[in-house]
Amino acid sequence: MMNNSNGMISAPSSSSSPAANPQSPGIKTYFKTPEGKYKLHYEKTHSSGLLHYAHGKTVTQVTLAQLKERAAPTTPTATSSGYSASSGFRSATARLLGTGNGSRALSFGGGNGGSKSMSTSSRISGSFTASNSSTSMTNTNFDGKGTYLVFNVSDAIFICDLNSQDKDPVKSIHFSNSNPMCHAFDPDAKDGHDLLIGLNSGDVYTVSLRQQLQDVSKKLVGPLHYNKDGSVNNNRCTSISWVPGGDGAFVVAHADGNLYVYEKNKDGATDSTFPAIRDPTQFSVDKAKYSKSNPVARWHICQGSINSIAFSNDGAHLATVGRDGYLRIFDFATQKLVCGGKSYYGALLCCSWSMDGKYILTGGEDDLVQVWSMEDRKVVAWGEGHNSWVSGVAFDSYWSSPNSDGSGEHVMYRFGSVGQDTQLLLWDLEMDEIVVPLRRAPGGSPTYSTGSQSAHWDNVIPMGTLQPAPCKRDVPKLSPIIAHRVHTEPLSGLMFTQESVVTACREGHLKIWTRPSESEIQSNSCSEANPTSSLLSTSFPPKITKPH
Amino acid sequence: MGAAGSKLEKALGDQFPEGERYFGFENFGNTCYCNSVLQALYFCVPFREQLLEYYTSNKSVADAEENLMTCLADLFSQISSQKKKTGVIAPKRFVQRLKKQNELFRSYMHQDAHEFLNYLLNEVVDILEKEAKATKTEHETSSSSSPEKIPNGLKVPQANGVHKEPIVTWVHNIFQGILTNETRCLRCETVTARDETFLDLSLDIEQNSSITSCLKNFSSTETLHAEDKFFCDKCCSLQEAQKRMKIKKPPHILVIHLKRFKYIEQLGRYKKLSYRVVFPLELKLSNTVEPYADIEYSLFAVVVHVGSGPNHGHYVSLVKSHNHWLFFDDENVEMIEESAVQTFFGSSQEYSSNTDHGYILFYESLGPTK
Ligand SMILES: [Zn+2]
Repeated sequence: MMNNSNGMISAPSSSSSPAANPQSPGIKTYFKTPEGKYKLHYEKTHSSGLLHYAHGKTVTQVTLAQLKERAAPTTPTATSSGYSASSGFRSATARLLGTGNGSRALSFGGGNGGSKSMSTSSRISGSFTASNSSTSMTNTNFDGKGTYLVFNVSDAIFICDLNSQDKDPVKSIHFSNSNPMCHAFDPDAKDGHDLLIGLNSGDVYTVSLRQQLQDVSKKLVGPLHYNKDGSVNNNRCTSISWVPGGDGAFVVAHADGNLYVYEKNKDGATDSTFPAIRDPTQFSVDKAKYSKSNPVARWHICQGSINSIAFSNDGAHLATVGRDGYLRIFDFATQKLVCGGKSYYGALLCCSWSMDGKYILTGGEDDLVQVWSMEDRKVVAWGEGHNSWVSGVAFDSYWSSPNSDGSGEHVMYRFGSVGQDTQLLLWDLEMDEIVVPLRRAPGGSPTYSTGSQSAHWDNVIPMGTLQPAPCKRDVPKLSPIIAHRVHTEPLSGLMFTQESVVTACREGHLKIWTRPSESEIQSNSCSEANPTSSLLSTSFPPKITKPH
Repeated sequence: MGAAGSKLEKALGDQFPEGERYFGFENFGNTCYCNSVLQALYFCVPFREQLLEYYTSNKSVADAEENLMTCLADLFSQISSQKKKTGVIAPKRFVQRLKKQNELFRSYMHQDAHEFLNYLLNEVVDILEKEAKATKTEHETSSSSSPEKIPNGLKVPQANGVHKEPIVTWVHNIFQGILTNETRCLRCETVTARDETFLDLSLDIEQNSSITSCLKNFSSTETLHAEDKFFCDKCCSLQEAQKRMKIKKPPHILVIHLKRFKYIEQLGRYKKLSYRVVFPLELKLSNTVEPYADIEYSLFAVVVHVGSGPNHGHYVSLVKSHNHWLFFDDENVEMIEESAVQTFFGSSQEYSSNTDHGYILFYESLGPTK
């Protein structure tokens, strides 16, 4: 019946993919990379039985929050804890290079700002090996320093101690009226209000994380409340961020394509009013009618939802991705569009900057990881390897190329991505291979070719314009160095810390994977015939498929 | 029903599209499979327009002979000519005709919506072809302009092996695509290509995957070996070969059927796969032949199966009309948020309270496919 000549054709049943049986419950507790084994160290979760489970209504995001000792250091270098920002996760200290006015800022030698520049900055307290688990539930004394994971599930915010083997949160905060959707942490907040929380109702809170930890109740303690009951915008908060070096300013993105700038020292009780949006299809910025109220400005970015926002580490640029599939990069101070471009197809879901501010990763509904170059103002590579939507992307700022000698000629970036296919993928990006050949005409002449190559690669892209979706054949492709199924549920977040990789699934389960030990890395680099390396048949060393 | 209608009208307010009608369908005992597919087809604008045009131009002969297509055209015309903007219609004549014609759909058992869509489209094609042949014999000597022939002189082999000029109806123009099945003999490297037409694609699905990934798997290279060898004409013997399926001509309307009902041999029965398969609102096909590589499609309808098993349950449909998403559940029509489409992807766990799963997806091409 299915095969008459005009009929419907079924796929051959034998054409199922070679991927592992998704039914298999066995998820390995380690994964191998060229530099060694990453091992599952801790898991963090919540007791879901306590929740009024609203399936699919909320997606877990995770923020890394480092509480320093009360006498906060003041010099920029000392405040660097060195956590990199990523989508789904919000970094505690995303100002590693940006605000530092020292000579090290934005100067890159070998790696992408990873361990080398980190070697002098303070390590976080309580490394994994020396962690003292806080098994007691006395929430009375959180005066000390500590590193926490803040994550939302359904109507609650949970706080876990990163360096404790305890699976359960040390604190839960329940919201009675609406679900928390996004959050961000600033370790250098001056007045103690360091945690931002955006709700489904559009409401925004700032609180002190320490104060929450000291309190034993399940309620938010001492919050400042903005956009009360959605009075300025009642659409879901989708992404929230402190402005790096912004003196308490923060930005909230909403599901209707608007983004609001708040200043912490302004009154939250007085509602701001904004003029009507003149043309919903156009980008526009409007100031609030009264200068004393909060928010102070509205940026109308796009039609449909803004799905994620990310500041470059120096706070100069703001990247947004959304339902319309566009990545947009703005100069935050001048409020001008710098550049941007369309996904291959479908919405973009996440974005993240490289530590040096040269590249932006995006992930979306075309199952692709895009690498956007700020210098070229276009997509320079597509990572192909996910079997579903890409929900989290991040550069590994602690990774340095084994071949890099600091000459800068062989700059290599390591980044990761997680998807709704439950997989974590790691990628290597060699910039001399990817950028240089593309800017030369065939034959190696440094002049631009005419005609033979697509316009996408030949034209210098002007400032302030948005690029259409590139043609498939024009974009160089990357293959992942590893692909590992890390959870049973679709993933929603990824973050690299100095000691580990943190993955999170939509339902609020977190896994912390420790990096290979130093000794393992050394033995790997010494022995060419190392079985760990030889097992990686996929695509090591990484190569980029160039467009023809 | 009046209250429900006015509720939708209120929700749309002055954004109610000019000339558009949103009517629920009465259920005549497990006819939701039919209702959900008919709503999707009604909001498939090129299909609706062609059918209404057919209805208008054949009005005089319509009472001559009733068939499934005239019943469908009658129903569509009934909806589009309603004075009220919303309400409920009983597709009685159509359902009666369907049951009379095909015993498969006669029982009050739960039916498969994809089987019904398949049957309906092929039935309409048969009727149009018969009419076209009749006109052809009438104008044997004069060069008739319709039916058109497939462009590019492309010949599609018939099942019986006889090559004749295939008749291309408007149903073909809307839904038909061409797949090319490339087989490469591993001994002599000769590539044999065989073209097949399709009105929809049935895809195998995997847990926590995307439509993009399912399409990739559909076109992934398959090795024919052991008992499954390929007869190579050049080698004149059975040889190991590599086979892959590509889309040679993408259809204007791409209908994707997710194979959620799978026969499990150990159980000796069908089982519903509730897998989470995400589908984007915009899609490009990764497995097309140039120059069709970057054609973009936009999702406009989803037939949803509700229930945990294959032999019972319910069908509803989601439809995009004039940039609004609507939810059709037999008599009821509601407006929904675009983001609500995401709640029909499926479950990432085998046992879940969420049993509403996207089953047939309708995408319309935004670029030229001809
Ligand atoms: Zn042969």
